[in-house]
This record gives sequence, C-alpha cells and structure tokens, in this order.
Amino acid sequence: MTQPCDSNRPLISRYLDGELLESEAGPLRRHLLACQGCRTATQGDKALRRWFQAEAQVPVPQGFAARVARLAFAGAVPGDGAASPAPSRPSQPSEVAATAPSALRDERTLPFVLRMTAAAALLLIVLSGFLREGNIAAVDDLSADDATVPTLEELDLMLERLDETAPVPGAPAR
Amino acid sequence: MTRRDEGTGEEGSITGVPARAMGPLAMEKAALDDTSLVQETLAGSQASFQLLVERYEGRLFALARGYTKNAVEIEDIVQDTFLKAFGRLASFDHRSSFYTWIYRIAVNTVLDHLKRRGRSPVQAVEDPELVGGPRPNQSIAAPDAGLEREEISRITQEVLEHLPEIFRTTLVLREFEGLAYQEIADVLEISIGTVESRLFRARARFKDKLLALYPEFGEELGD
Repeated sequence: MTQPCDSNRPLISRYLDGELLESEAGPLRRHLLACQGCRTATQGDKALRRWFQAEAQVPVPQGFAARVARLAFAGAVPGDGAASPAPSRPSQPSEVAATAPSALRDERTLPFVLRMTAAAALLLIVLSGFLREGNIAAVDDLSADDATVPTLEELDLMLERLDETAPVPGAPAR
Repeated sequence: MTRRDEGTGEEGSITGVPARAMGPLAMEKAALDDTSLVQETLAGSQASFQLLVERYEGRLFALARGYTKNAVEIEDIVQDTFLKAFGRLASFDHRSSFYTWIYRIAVNTVLDHLKRRGRSPVQAVEDPELVGGPRPNQSIAAPDAGLEREEISRITQEVLEHLPEIFRTTLVLREFEGLAYQEIADVLEISIGTVESRLFRARARFKDKLLALYPEFGEELGD
C-alpha cells in the first residue's frame, strides 16, 4: 500500500512542521514504522520542504537600520503616502531628498524621462522631414534679400544650367 | 519534531532564539523589550526605533525575498514597511506581539509594492476542492545534489510566482520565515485551521506546478 492513511495524512505535515505535541507525535512515529503509504508521503513532504531550504540568506545593507530610523524621524513617508509619524521628536535637518527610496525616484522620474525622450524623437523626425523636403535653403544661398525660396523643380533647372556653365541666379559672380 | 523537542538556533523568533524554545520568562522579557522600545520611540528616541529595526530587519528582508529577487525592491519594501510601522506606532495597541504586527504590515506592503510595479500576485479564492491536487502516483524529488543553490532558489521562486497569493504568502511565512501555525494565523488574522488548510493546498499546488514546469523532478510511486 503506497497511499497514506486518510486519518494520518494531515498529521504528517503538522509533524514535519513541528506542530504536534509529543502525545500525538509518538503514536504517529510508531504508525510510520508500520505503514508504507504514510512513510512514502512523509518522504515526499520532506523532499518538498528541501526546495525551500536552498533559499539564500538576504544580506542586510550596512547601516540600513540607522538610515531607516533617520528617515522616519525626518518625516519621510513610504511609497504609498502613509500618515506622517505621530511621535514627538527633536527637529532634524531634512534628509528626505538626499535619501529618498530609489523606488520613489524611479516612479516619478522614469515616466518623465520616457515622455521627454519620445518628444525629442518626434521633433527629430519632424525636422528631418523638413530637411528632406528641401524647404530649408542651403547656407550659401541664404540672403537677407531673398524674397522667395526656389521650388524643387527650379533647383533642378539651376543645377542643369550649372552643368551648362550658365551662371546661377543669386550666386556670387565667378 | 515537536514543540518541546526543538531547541535549535533556527530563525523565527523575536530575538533569534526559537520562540518555541524560549521559556516563559525569556519570552516575557523579549516582549517587554519590544514594548519598551516602542514606548521610547513614541517618546522621541530615534535610537530605540533603530534598535527595533535592527531586531527585525533580517527577517523582513527574508520575507520580501520570498516575493522578489531584486535587491533594490527588497530594500524598498522593507524600508517602506518600517516607515509605515513608524507612522502607525501610536496606534499599536499591543494586543498582538510587535513582530506579528510588523509582519502583517510587511505582507501588505509587499503585495502593494508588487501591484504598483504591475506585477499583481495571482489572485484566487479558496478552492472548494483541490484543483490539481496531489497526483497520487507521482511524488516530488528533493532538489538534485548537483543543482547549485542559486538554481534551486531560482526554480523555487519561479514556481511560487505561479501560486495564488494566499497560498504563496502562507508558504513564505512557513517555509522561509519558519513561523508557527499560530504565528501565521496571527499575522494573517485567520484561524489555525485555515492556516493548515492553506498550507496543505499551497504545498500541493507547489508540487504540481513544479512538476508541470520541471517534470524531471517527478518521482513515480511504487504500487
């Protein structure tokens, strides 16, 4: 028989969790010696628990407690805007701006940065579109007296005339 | 493995000594220490609050680690927990122990933090029956001896992320924090019976999900 006994199955988890009194654990241990199903279930539960034992210790940053205490007494609030601390305390120089949680900084600045980046990209696209359309005259041709901007066709004509060594209108004399 | 038998130095108590291994007088002293520190903090002692933080920071870091691997997030969660606790210290009525009270704040802070980050934990109501309950013919093997500790931790975290929040929280408090059933019940404000039920289902879910994601860790039961 490999299935655990219905009556003892709940006890196995409690036993492994250290939740049984000795008066309950003793009979269960004796039962485990005789019942293959419950022994198998116990081994399975033990194997499952070992998946959690490998959890690495989380190092606490140096000075964490001192920093948190300092923040608390300086009036810092957690990310969800909890109520200000009630206890009376001597006045402390404000350190909130310098030591605000990185999460708060990220939440406020990241959307702003993304928006500015998107706006800059859009501006570049618009500017490049203008440049491609030729609406901006070449620097050499700019003049305060220029009343009109040549069209694309006119520019083509100008280039053809250049090829034919004809003077370009508005160009400095050669 | 009974309450009276344990005397190891495992984590899970107010002062690093297992609560279940401390005598009544020692437990009373520890409780008074927390009470004194709370009162002194309320009177304006930053040093007393720092002591409180030092007393519980390790355990709260471990708790947060059960929900995220990101070190920055863990630190933010724990810091927010202590700041919230500080803000509500005047309303702490000592009906529960300080560490039960701050654990409760920590669990809520973790869940709020994950929601803000767009990583809402899986929500589910209590199942009227075991969905995907223990597969009768398949057990789970212990982590392979050849697996690196980090890899085991990664797999465990991956599986935990698929669990409904109520199961994940119960498992984290029990397996990572080593809290007793009564302590878990106090933190989550549920009955011990509910704790047992959730743990049983949580472990079944964990096993099934682990086998679904990594079938190589399954073991067939003999007949």
